[in-house]
Amino acid sequence: MPTLNTLYFYLTEGCNLACRHCWMGPQFHATGNHYPTLPVELYETAIREARPLGLSGVKLTGGEPLLHPHFARLLEIVQREELKLTVETNGLLCTPEIAAEIAKSHKRFVSVSIDGTDAATHEWVRGVPGSFEAARQAVRNLVAAGIRPQVIFTVMRKNAAQVDAMVRMVAELGAGSLKFNVVQPTARGEKLHEDQETLYIGDLIELGRHVEQELAPRTTLKVFFHYPPAFRALHRIAGGDGCGACGIFGILGVIASGHYALCGIGQQVPELVFGEVGKDSLEEVWRENATLKELREGLPERLEGVCSRCLMKRRCRGSCIAQNYYSKGSLWAPYWFCEQAEEAGLFPPSRVGTRPA
Amino acid sequence: MIQTDRPIANPVVVLREEFADWAVLFNPDTAYAAGTNPVGVAVWKLMDGKRSLDDIVSEIQNSFEDTPDAAFKEIAAFVNTLAENGFVGFEVENQ
Ligand code: SF4
Ligand code: SF4
Repeated sequence: MPTLNTLYFYLTEGCNLACRHCWMGPQFHATGNHYPTLPVELYETAIREARPLGLSGVKLTGGEPLLHPHFARLLEIVQREELKLTVETNGLLCTPEIAAEIAKSHKRFVSVSIDGTDAATHEWVRGVPGSFEAARQAVRNLVAAGIRPQVIFTVMRKNAAQVDAMVRMVAELGAGSLKFNVVQPTARGEKLHEDQETLYIGDLIELGRHVEQELAPRTTLKVFFHYPPAFRALHRIAGGDGCGACGIFGILGVIASGHYALCGIGQQVPELVFGEVGKDSLEEVWRENATLKELREGLPERLEGVCSRCLMKRRCRGSCIAQNYYSKGSLWAPYWFCEQAEEAGLFPPSRVGTRPA
Repeated sequence: MIQTDRPIANPVVVLREEFADWAVLFNPDTAYAAGTNPVGVAVWKLMDGKRSLDDIVSEIQNSFEDTPDAAFKEIAAFVNTLAENGFVGFEVENQ
């Protein structure tokens, strides 16, 4: 049985932004907190039961994790347990005080989402006036507390022209790295794809190449483009650019309703919910859940379509099983990005190879 | 027959050159692949069954700047890994 390294806590069903591309589709609430959040007792229970399975870190995400009414308490538990901490936030509530609390965890990694170099672009994506300055201020607050966060920028038609300028802005803010994400066609992201607000596959591949091969070498900021490893230059992969692989063998999600799930996808896809925190034993879920067992036995060999022919499949494992399941209803379905690339004749031929029949 | 220290690249393996002189070595018999850096590519091209590992290392030292002192060890390890995965064999000769 593999080690359960990390629990991903999807702490809130609601969010204080209304992003057009969100793959979780949380309920929007501008003020207050009207939607379910994970009770602290269940959070503690999951951590306690995960320790003997090898837990070494937690990721706190959402919705928006800082909306959790007892966020400071959740941080204390991470510190007490000496766990590695990852926080993914939109920054709106990341005050100097919260930043200082996060900084008390010695092994921490924080990311803040910013989707444009100006308020008009960022707020078109994020749906809330004032959110651009708030996110930039969050980065400054974190930097002042001694944390150099990663800024995450999701590329779409509206902001693609700002990619180069983004590198400069993020470096000036003092962040440690910048990651460009692609919009996943899940939940609201699916609508964005349908509305053709996302980039065509050829443009995405070209943008990835530009970021990796032209932008990244020219800056001291660490810059990543998060696309599947089949497209990534070998020297970037060898240099430890670990983006692009699903960590599914070592992680489990805990969603705001208090259930274990494959990851946050459990909020969208009930079949990928595996049990209830506190009622079901985590050890039993981790050891016995049929889907987890099937994945451990079947990945990567049972992957289908382009993933079955891909030389990167042992490293990549189909990129995102949740996304693949959401799109096609199968754990073994190929990843949409690579499938579209292959259909367009843009999948790198040097990364394809099959065994003779 | 004894095995020499002269590595020879498996002729069915295909070298697929990529960006910045890195490459993928692909074995169509097994569908296994390995990525390699420019030094590995150069080593691959020199494994003809005629050159010993020593010969290969000195040719590499002549063609790449700043080859580290540990180059022999690293190249030997690279060749051994390739051999373990069926990408490389060693020339044999009659005693
Ligand atoms: S084809 Fe599949 S396995 Fe290969 S890089 Fe793309 S998503 Fe990963
Ligand atoms: S399935 Fe997708 S969303 Fe879930 S952990 Fe893997 S990559 Fe992340």
